[in-house]
Amino acid sequence: MMTSTGWHVGPKLWARYAAGGLDYVTESAVDAHVVGCAECRQAARSYVDPAPLEQVWAAVGTETARPRLPFVLRGLVRIGLPERHAVVLGGSSGLHRPWVVAVASALLCALLSGFLPEYQDRFFVLLAPLVPVLAVAAAYDATDPMRELFTTTAHSKLGIALLRTAAALSAAVPLTTVVGLLVPGLESLAFAWLVPGLCLTVTMLVLLTWWDAATTTGVVATGWACAVGITGRDASALIDTARMQGIFVAVTLAMACLLVLRTASTRLRGGF
Amino acid sequence: MSTAILDGVSKTFGRTTALRRTDLELANGVIGLLGPNGAGKTTMLRLLATSLPPTTGRIVVAGHEVTGSMAQRKAARRCLGYLPQEVTFPRGMTAFTFLDYVAVLKEWNITATRHREVGRVLDLVQLGDRATRRISKLSGGQRRRLAVAQALMGSPELVILDEPTTGLDPEQRASLRRILSGLARAGAVLLSTHQTEDVSALCDRVIVLDDGAIMFDGTVADLIEVARGRVHVSPEASLSAVTSWRSGTGAVRSVGGIPGPNATLVEPTVEDAYLLLRGQQTDHEGALS
Repeated sequence: MMTSTGWHVGPKLWARYAAGGLDYVTESAVDAHVVGCAECRQAARSYVDPAPLEQVWAAVGTETARPRLPFVLRGLVRIGLPERHAVVLGGSSGLHRPWVVAVASALLCALLSGFLPEYQDRFFVLLAPLVPVLAVAAAYDATDPMRELFTTTAHSKLGIALLRTAAALSAAVPLTTVVGLLVPGLESLAFAWLVPGLCLTVTMLVLLTWWDAATTTGVVATGWACAVGITGRDASALIDTARMQGIFVAVTLAMACLLVLRTASTRLRGGF
Repeated sequence: MSTAILDGVSKTFGRTTALRRTDLELANGVIGLLGPNGAGKTTMLRLLATSLPPTTGRIVVAGHEVTGSMAQRKAARRCLGYLPQEVTFPRGMTAFTFLDYVAVLKEWNITATRHREVGRVLDLVQLGDRATRRISKLSGGQRRRLAVAQALMGSPELVILDEPTTGLDPEQRASLRRILSGLARAGAVLLSTHQTEDVSALCDRVIVLDDGAIMFDGTVADLIEVARGRVHVSPEASLSAVTSWRSGTGAVRSVGGIPGPNATLVEPTVEDAYLLLRGQQTDHEGALS
């Protein structure tokens, strides 16, 4: 049907269109025309029931707006990470910063241990257990813009803390272990740092319930540096004996209990 | 039944008392919180939102004691939506991603249901067509509406909004008022604002806070009644007025004070009543010092 302003879809054509009785070429022509013609879009409402169309359109809208997770998180979801956890990891400071910190501090650990063989044990004992601490600290942004909102939601604060920690450790632990294996002469120290590293990380999580990430990292790192300093030349004795490993396991368990208690208490501050 | 209760609640930060001992019950409806900067409005809202623990007293939200066990506090958090005064959005997020993230934090664990709810609140604040746009590309008003949207997710029983209309144009404010009055049928909406016109247009009840204490608690009509017969216009300002200003017509509107011979009494507004209350408080403080 022609009008003074151009061609428009007429009633008969609409009726056939709505009934699905048009051939492919004519249907495509109507589709193409309706996209550019507000008058025909308006007219379509009287021939086609808008309710199911709006439902479909809403679903299309939601589908197209649906966020696409970053590549790494998509991979983690594929291997079993629940989608909601991936959203939390993507929505917080993300994985980039803790992973970059883990790589940087593991490299520093490798450099100092590898290029200063005279002090390699001392440097490795000092730095290796701090790599996960630094990575976890980077996962807790002290200026997290969402903190106030986050505090008022029902989501488990401990759950989020452990999720962020796991994400940070997933880079820090393998990297530092590889560094320990690559630097010649470290022998059993290459693995002995794991329990003290876990102990310091859990201690840090406990302290994060009081202080922000920067203060907590400072306190933990200073405390550990003092402990290494006190041992003097035989730094490996601090972590590489059965007795010390047992002490670190005991402290880790105690700190884990304290962490559960702290996250269940009223006065939460600091990192989570 | 009360949606929220403050029972002997106070809050101090070091030596500063932000909120004096307060007893308050909030029922369904829109409740406006007025007061100058530093009056304790944000502290009261943060206490109710479980963002801050009280120094003394008991807080109950939707029947759950916030100051009780962790389980009670969690249950209360499931029933509230909170808009802080300032929301700084994480970098790189789109409107949809942001709401999706908040929805996960609010325990919307089923993806399809969560996405439907995100779509619903985006449409509610008229940002449905901006869903895939990065937040950094949104205007100030659109960001504020996005922040409001997260508080409305799940239609909570208690909605706490700290200055929700800041940065919104008149049309958007009217739209937000419509949304909030709809919500108020099923729950309580507590909003702090400096916009007295929002209070008169929207609120069933108004609370005026000053120096950490409630100065007034009643209906909007009751508040306006405080100023009845005490607001007048005249060619010249009344010297004893609490405040006065020259309006666009050239006449001087005076709140309080003794009207001059050419003065005409006029209908007071919420703003007049608020200014009068504030003026009385300042006079009282002056007399005490």
